[in-house]
Amino acid sequence: MTSTRRRLIPYGLLGPGAIWLALFFIVPMYFMGELALRTGTFTTGFQSGFEISNFSDALSGNTEQFVRSFIYAGSATLIALAIAYPLAYAIALRAGRWKLLLLFAVVAPFFTTYLIRTIAWKTILADESPFVSLLQTLHLVPEDGRVLATGGAVVAGLTYNFLPFMILPIYASLERIDTSLIEAGKDLYASSTQTFLRVTLPITMPGIVAGVLLTFIPAVGDYINAEILGGTGTSMIGNVIQSLYLEQRNYPEAAALSFTMMAAILVVVIVYLRMAGTGAFMGDEDERD
Amino acid sequence: MRGNTRLRALMLALAALAATLVLAACGGGDDVGGASGNAAETAEPGPVEGEFNFSNWVGYIDKGDGGTVAEFEAKHPGVTMNYNEDVNDNADFFGKMSPLLDGGESGGRSMFVVTDWMAKQMNDLGYLQAIDYADVPNVDANLKQNLRSPEFDPDRSFSIPWQSGMTGLLVNEKLAPDVRSVNDLFDPQYKGKVTVLTEMRDTVPLMLKADGIDPADATKQDWLDEIDKLDQAVQSGQLRRFTGNDYIQDMTNENTVAVIGWSGDIELIDNEDVTWRMPTDGCILWSDNMVIPVGAPNTAAALAWADFVYDPKVQADISDYVRYVSPVQGIEAVNPQLAQDELVNPPEEFTANCSTQPDPPGSAEDVQEVTEAFQAVITQ
Repeated sequence: MTSTRRRLIPYGLLGPGAIWLALFFIVPMYFMGELALRTGTFTTGFQSGFEISNFSDALSGNTEQFVRSFIYAGSATLIALAIAYPLAYAIALRAGRWKLLLLFAVVAPFFTTYLIRTIAWKTILADESPFVSLLQTLHLVPEDGRVLATGGAVVAGLTYNFLPFMILPIYASLERIDTSLIEAGKDLYASSTQTFLRVTLPITMPGIVAGVLLTFIPAVGDYINAEILGGTGTSMIGNVIQSLYLEQRNYPEAAALSFTMMAAILVVVIVYLRMAGTGAFMGDEDERD
Repeated sequence: MRGNTRLRALMLALAALAATLVLAACGGGDDVGGASGNAAETAEPGPVEGEFNFSNWVGYIDKGDGGTVAEFEAKHPGVTMNYNEDVNDNADFFGKMSPLLDGGESGGRSMFVVTDWMAKQMNDLGYLQAIDYADVPNVDANLKQNLRSPEFDPDRSFSIPWQSGMTGLLVNEKLAPDVRSVNDLFDPQYKGKVTVLTEMRDTVPLMLKADGIDPADATKQDWLDEIDKLDQAVQSGQLRRFTGNDYIQDMTNENTVAVIGWSGDIELIDNEDVTWRMPTDGCILWSDNMVIPVGAPNTAAALAWADFVYDPKVQADISDYVRYVSPVQGIEAVNPQLAQDELVNPPEEFTANCSTQPDPPGSAEDVQEVTEAFQAVITQ
């Protein structure tokens, strides 16, 4: 009796997750896949079919937005990493009693909705704002140039909005670090840089990999930042899907494009994990080197 | 080994679950979109009580204490009105509602407000209920003559105007004093400082008019040519953005100096240099309409509400607050100031050059082609 029960426990534990996955991932995926292959127009109705050309149509006009999405999201991820790592390092290892307060400051913006935070950036980056004047004085932006309604503003918005997703996993892995390892590195006459590169960085790799994935994946599909902070010629793939679905009511092409984007993200993520090593993600010691 | 079998059994169970769900969901109907061919019912009158959900655009009423909503509830003590500002864009709202309306559901809404062309499109799909004028005597008595038989609804059988308006130019008089025609937006000196609307039926017809083409006579090619002109303006960096009424923030902050915009929004722009200008080429006239969707609960309250806002005394307050063109006659007698305001009460010669908001010409496929071309320019 007890042994049967014990054998059933893992399935019981898997159950809620599996049902969730079936209901909210597999079923919608099926519908989206089926929709992506339908033919017809909104007015005549979309009939079941096997219209593979939806995929090529969806891609052909939108390659530029596709590439742009990956460039914007990639840039935002790199900038976020550059900001997040030192910050997380400082909070985890140097902040002392300020640790909790600083962590709270990282999370605090989440108490305001995403939309409002993004709209607030319109004021910060406005053409006549002090911030933009400063950039102009420093010749980082041309005298008659602007920040708002450019690709730069979109990348800035993406970076800002997803930054906490980069900071928190890195912080978590730095927090757990055994500081005696760093001391040992120094005892063995390694310079600070060497210690950092050969001890700290490898140990925190799982945090970095998690942060990069948590930032990059939602950033590629984001459309709010391009919608609010972007201008003409800054549309991302999310904006195209929104237009296809809600404005042009071409549901099959919108579904096909969503699928294509999902596949593209999957490829990028797999390549990335191959390079970083899944072991790094899992925190598996053996695979790390 | 044993674990493997169990895993397989679990997988099978999951697959079966998924398949059941798929079949259950498919049973509802195999078609997505398309006309459902609902026979038009007429909205039922009755005792005015219970919960009343009304969806409107932002900034279209005074919601505060002692505002119109509160007055309505005071008049009909049994009614709890939920005034929701959840319509931001016709196409967007349609995208949200059509799966519901397709199944004869309104998502709890008794009434909502959409622009002429969208009201027609919804009615063509069988999404709307007819309105009997005997149930709304104030509308019958006070609807302005020029709005009684629009092309899209000659008998006003399914739509009652909420407010009308003019699409023209919002201009910062200090920074762009010379913008008077829509074509002036394409002057290189305003590069990166001008925007146009994402609403194709406003932007393209205004450009047609500026190029001397009457939108009523325009061909599909004329529309596509104007869209091409927009495309070039995007490429050259002339156009900063495509906007809904989020141009309000850009005009207030002076990020933009001249834009295509809607007349009443001048009230919402907090910058005294900005005015609404009638383009020298004329404006586009439109109405946003109250409609009663299929499956609407509490149609009695919806009819009572429409009748209520067509009381000139009530309408005068709304008009004073929103500054759009009022569809109700007799408000000038209540508030003589409104008679002087050419945005609320435009004299005939003021709008002589204006056109009613057109659809692109041709069949549904032609409209789709034009829509796709326009959207391709927006989403570059």
